[in-house]
Amino acid sequence: MVATAEEGGSRDLLESYSATITFDTYETVREALFNPSLSRSFDKRSYGHGNIRDGVVSITHGPTHRARRRVENSQFRPDKLRLYERVLFPTVLGELLDVLIDGEFVDIFPIGELVSVVLAARRAGLDQDDRALDQLRTLVRFVDVFSQGSAILDARDPEAVRTLVYRTYEEFERGFVRPAWDRRAALIQAHRDGRLDASHLPNDILTVLLLHRDDPHIELDDDGRVVRETATYLQGGTHTSAQTLTNALDLMFEAGDRRPDVLGLVARDRGFAQRVVHETLRLRPTTPKIKRRAEADTEVAGVAIPRDALVVLDAVAGNRDPAVYGPTAHDFDPDRTLPASVPRWGLSFGAGAHQCPGRSVAGGFPVPSDLGTDDEHLFGLVALMIQAVAARGVLADPDHPPERDLRTARDTRWLHYPVRFGPRR
Amino acid sequence: MAARVHIDEDMCIGSGECVRLLPAAFRIDESRGISVPLDGAQLQDLNLLVMAGHNCPTNSIRVVADDGTVLVASAH
Repeated sequence: MVATAEEGGSRDLLESYSATITFDTYETVREALFNPSLSRSFDKRSYGHGNIRDGVVSITHGPTHRARRRVENSQFRPDKLRLYERVLFPTVLGELLDVLIDGEFVDIFPIGELVSVVLAARRAGLDQDDRALDQLRTLVRFVDVFSQGSAILDARDPEAVRTLVYRTYEEFERGFVRPAWDRRAALIQAHRDGRLDASHLPNDILTVLLLHRDDPHIELDDDGRVVRETATYLQGGTHTSAQTLTNALDLMFEAGDRRPDVLGLVARDRGFAQRVVHETLRLRPTTPKIKRRAEADTEVAGVAIPRDALVVLDAVAGNRDPAVYGPTAHDFDPDRTLPASVPRWGLSFGAGAHQCPGRSVAGGFPVPSDLGTDDEHLFGLVALMIQAVAARGVLADPDHPPERDLRTARDTRWLHYPVRFGPRR
Repeated sequence: MAARVHIDEDMCIGSGECVRLLPAAFRIDESRGISVPLDGAQLQDLNLLVMAGHNCPTNSIRVVADDGTVLVASAH
């Protein structure tokens, strides 16, 4: 399966490196994330030769990446974020939690996934029935597989992951993408024929990909790439939110002795709930070690990096850098004071050209230094999730320990997290 | 103090960070998917212009003071 490039080119699949260089302070990690010579393209093979992420925006580099982001970023404008946060999500969240919290004891992690997948699927461009739990559970199963695929560099059994991802793409395309694609293609044709105003086209990633597919710069002439791109947004929009919900509860349960009021405060104060989410992201990034490949000889913070080096960016260490977050950097403190130039979530959404496009969806807008927010402010969907769960009386369940996801070395990820529900707050 | 504001259109990815921070100085040109400076951008709060430059994910914003001092250098 391992292909190598011909003379002069980079090796297609980088499995051994010219050097391994680690950065672990906030400023050096940030500088590396902005360095245009460092890419995420460890595997440059085609899909048919084993690259399960061939062509997805996360691993494209340079002009192709920029062209793709210009098209896709249109789906993350403030007007669309407001519609999701203020209109669509509150309804979905309330209806689903009413059904899913069906007893005193529940596993909160899959509930977080089911709640998150609804809007992630809509933004990706799927036409699922939001009230059909069987469809949502199928989508969550896909997300679980695609998440393993996106973390394949850290997988304990990469070949097993690769096989599973191939099979799941086929099922995903057949069951969800093709019907959505056909409907959108008909609408786009009607628009091009002058029979449909652009304002009636769906607002989602699949639609804008199909609209711009003729643009050679975005390199989406292969149908499979469109399917994988749609899967990327489904996965990205679901997985981080569900993991962050779970990590936020875990941190608040841990803090219980020091801050017994924390869940009550979350239930009452959305601004505080948002700061809990940002503090959770800072302490528990879903990608603890960000990896980059040097496409050319370059330099970060005075350190020379040779071509084909592996550059490891320790987000956990960077996010706890006392030079930036102070002597209490290791503590869970949603009320910490920070200058406006320092993100409360640390480097957990990345930075630079590959910064997570869904940052404002999950985390909302940055919290002003004085913690004051105006009518334009968005709090992010995860803040709404933890607030809803806190208001319903969530408590730790000491008799049923949570289970981490041991299929990956990314140790901030959960598989199961049993909780108990007591009186409403 | 006024400033000249320039955006490298090849590098911009239209993240909208600058528009969110300073809507009086930037807007998104949706036909191209990139940010462009507005007329009057040069008259906006210099500190906010500099912050917009530093927050740009592709270092595409260049801010030059009217005395020629480069306050934010785009990376390219």
